Amino acid sequence: MILVVGLSHRTAPVEVRERLSAGAEALPVVLSRLASRSELREVMFLSTCNRVEVVALASEGRADDALRAIREELASHGGLAQEADLVPYLYDRRGEAAVTHVFRVAASLESMVLGEPQILGQVKEAYDAAVAAGALKGMLGRCVSRAFSVAKKVRSETAIGAGTVSISSVAVDLARRIFGDLSQHAVLLLGAGEMAEAAARSLGKGAKELRICNRSFDRAAALAGAMHASAVPWEQLETELVQADVVVTSTGSRTPIVTHAMVKRAMKARKGRSLFFVDIAVPRNVEPEAHGIDNVFVYDVDDLEQHVAKGLQARHAELDAAQAIVMQEVSQFLAWTRGLEVQPTVVALRARTHAVLFAELERSLGGRLKHLGEAERAALAQMLESATNKLLHAPSTKLRSKAESEEEGGDARELAGALKYLFDLPEIASGKGEPGGSEQSERSAGPGRGDDKPAADDDDGVRH
Amino acid sequence: MSQQTIADLLFGATAGVYLAASVLFILFLTGRSERAIVWAPRLVALGVPLHAAQICVWSLVLHICPVEGIHFALSVGSMLVCLVYLLARTRLKVDVVGAFVAPQALAFLLASRFVGPVDAEPRLRGALLPFHVISNLLGIALFTFAFAAAVAYLVQERRLKSKKLGGSAERMPPIDALDRAEHRFLVAGFPLLTIGILTGAIFAREIEAGGAGEIARAALSYASWALIGGVLLLRAAAGWRGRRAAYGTIVGFGLTLLVMLLYLVRSAMLSGPGPA
Repeated sequence: MILVVGLSHRTAPVEVRERLSAGAEALPVVLSRLASRSELREVMFLSTCNRVEVVALASEGRADDALRAIREELASHGGLAQEADLVPYLYDRRGEAAVTHVFRVAASLESMVLGEPQILGQVKEAYDAAVAAGALKGMLGRCVSRAFSVAKKVRSETAIGAGTVSISSVAVDLARRIFGDLSQHAVLLLGAGEMAEAAARSLGKGAKELRICNRSFDRAAALAGAMHASAVPWEQLETELVQADVVVTSTGSRTPIVTHAMVKRAMKARKGRSLFFVDIAVPRNVEPEAHGIDNVFVYDVDDLEQHVAKGLQARHAELDAAQAIVMQEVSQFLAWTRGLEVQPTVVALRARTHAVLFAELERSLGGRLKHLGEAERAALAQMLESATNKLLHAPSTKLRSKAESEEEGGDARELAGALKYLFDLPEIASGKGEPGGSEQSERSAGPGRGDDKPAADDDDGVRH
Repeated sequence: MSQQTIADLLFGATAGVYLAASVLFILFLTGRSERAIVWAPRLVALGVPLHAAQICVWSLVLHICPVEGIHFALSVGSMLVCLVYLLARTRLKVDVVGAFVAPQALAFLLASRFVGPVDAEPRLRGALLPFHVISNLLGIALFTFAFAAAVAYLVQERRLKSKKLGGSAERMPPIDALDRAEHRFLVAGFPLLTIGILTGAIFAREIEAGGAGEIARAALSYASWALIGGVLLLRAAAGWRGRRAAYGTIVGFGLTLLVMLLYLVRSAMLSGPGPA
């Protein structure tokens, strides 16, 4: 059974999340500890700034033990004396709910900012780390790689990732609507606030240059060093308005720093070139009347937040469509896992048939047919192989098809039992999560073929 | 197949392609198809050679040189607008201006065929005529593009000023790109318009034009030349960009268009209804 145990921005404060997070160095250690637990057959550790989750495949019939083991390992990794300290923040999901959760996380339906694209990359990194650690090889690997294509499908078939949903991205979007490519334009940051810094960083990424102007030149210089920008003295503010094309303001001043008259003078010196103000300060740093000057655009924090809200609203409107895709994919994945339940019977039946026919062939080749040459012997072996495949194709397919169907799962188990009884088939452990196995099986690849991630070996050991 | 049939087929095909391009541009601007902006310029690109072939065959049918007469001038002018658009769209990142260019090409193509009889201007002959017609046509083609960029600029600027974004605003080019495109096409078209005005003045003296219509046309031509020249001068000297330059361009182009329409209407009035 697939399990998820974790905490997120919805259940735990940042102090708890940061204790449990694992960077590039800690990740292999925590993965290896988890993988060494006998209760867990496969495991993946996902650590982002908003989410820490262990996704695991429990050993046969040990789901409760597996949950406990994960909690213990998380508590130990977070340096907590006892598991109970962590329990209030943790959530767990089992079976279908766990698969749904994994798909939703990858599709960014569980993210703090709905539809944000980074989460998919983070899940891929977690997958790669788990594969590298040998902790992901069967059904869980297939589940996670399936989650990648689900996420892609959700992004391509819905507008869940459309629009701008942060102050920074709205500012960049507006600047592009005015100037297009920012590589020929300069950005000026006035003052220093967390949000303004973020906006200036985003704008400055593609800009020709980023300049920082602060009442304290030392502070401006320090910030400029950190942001690969240049610092300018406060006294040069008006001159800077002539040079810069995008001005991000965020000072604590109680009165506007950039006045209408100042902008008017700057525009004259600029010969009418467009000037865009992103005024994130409250109270506002730029006189709103400046917006009335030709080719001057002043957007304050309310204007920007209005666009953020619109973007989020548009994304939330896509939620139902995205959820429908996830549910459809979960149902296909679960059908595939149900099909795995009868796989040992199919493998055993094939092995039995193969063994009987080839034993008879060996006997005949040692007796009445011993005069046959190598070519004839090979042809006979090939014929028996082909006959086995053809004979067992229909029963294998029908049995698997019944098993995959939610309603007929019981029938499939009965049929599998009958086959075991009639052909005296040996008991073989369920194929779920077990890579390798018979080389003769004709099992289909299940959902997830064509995924962008190479899936681990088929858990039912099928060759195609 | 007769030359007349070929000309008609080419006319129909060109009109159909321009119509399809116009529809695709509208679908893109209204947000109904994101892919439409990929195909619409391609259709314009298909329309230009068809249009050129149509002009050639039609001029053979009517035995009129394409540089003689207002009908051919309209048709050639609209084809040149499309050509300028195709050459400039990628460099200036103003694909969406095709939303004006394609319907305009269609309208001029239809007008060239259905408004008044197609005839050469009998009084105008001589070595200067090709210079006069070609410079005017190229100038108008460039001003048409500048006009389209100016309209798009005003739409986008209005949205940015009113802070009501979304919808078709998201599909418009940046206002700086539109302003730049408008300016460049004015700069390119102004010398051509100047040549057109000068050669036109020489022709007016040669044929001793003195009718009220001819005087009005000449006055409008001089006014449009002065206005566009003023827009360029004020931009260079006093930083007249953006909205003010866009309004100047629109009025200047409007006057130029009026001159063309006066030619067309006069031709129709003098000769009665044309062949459909």
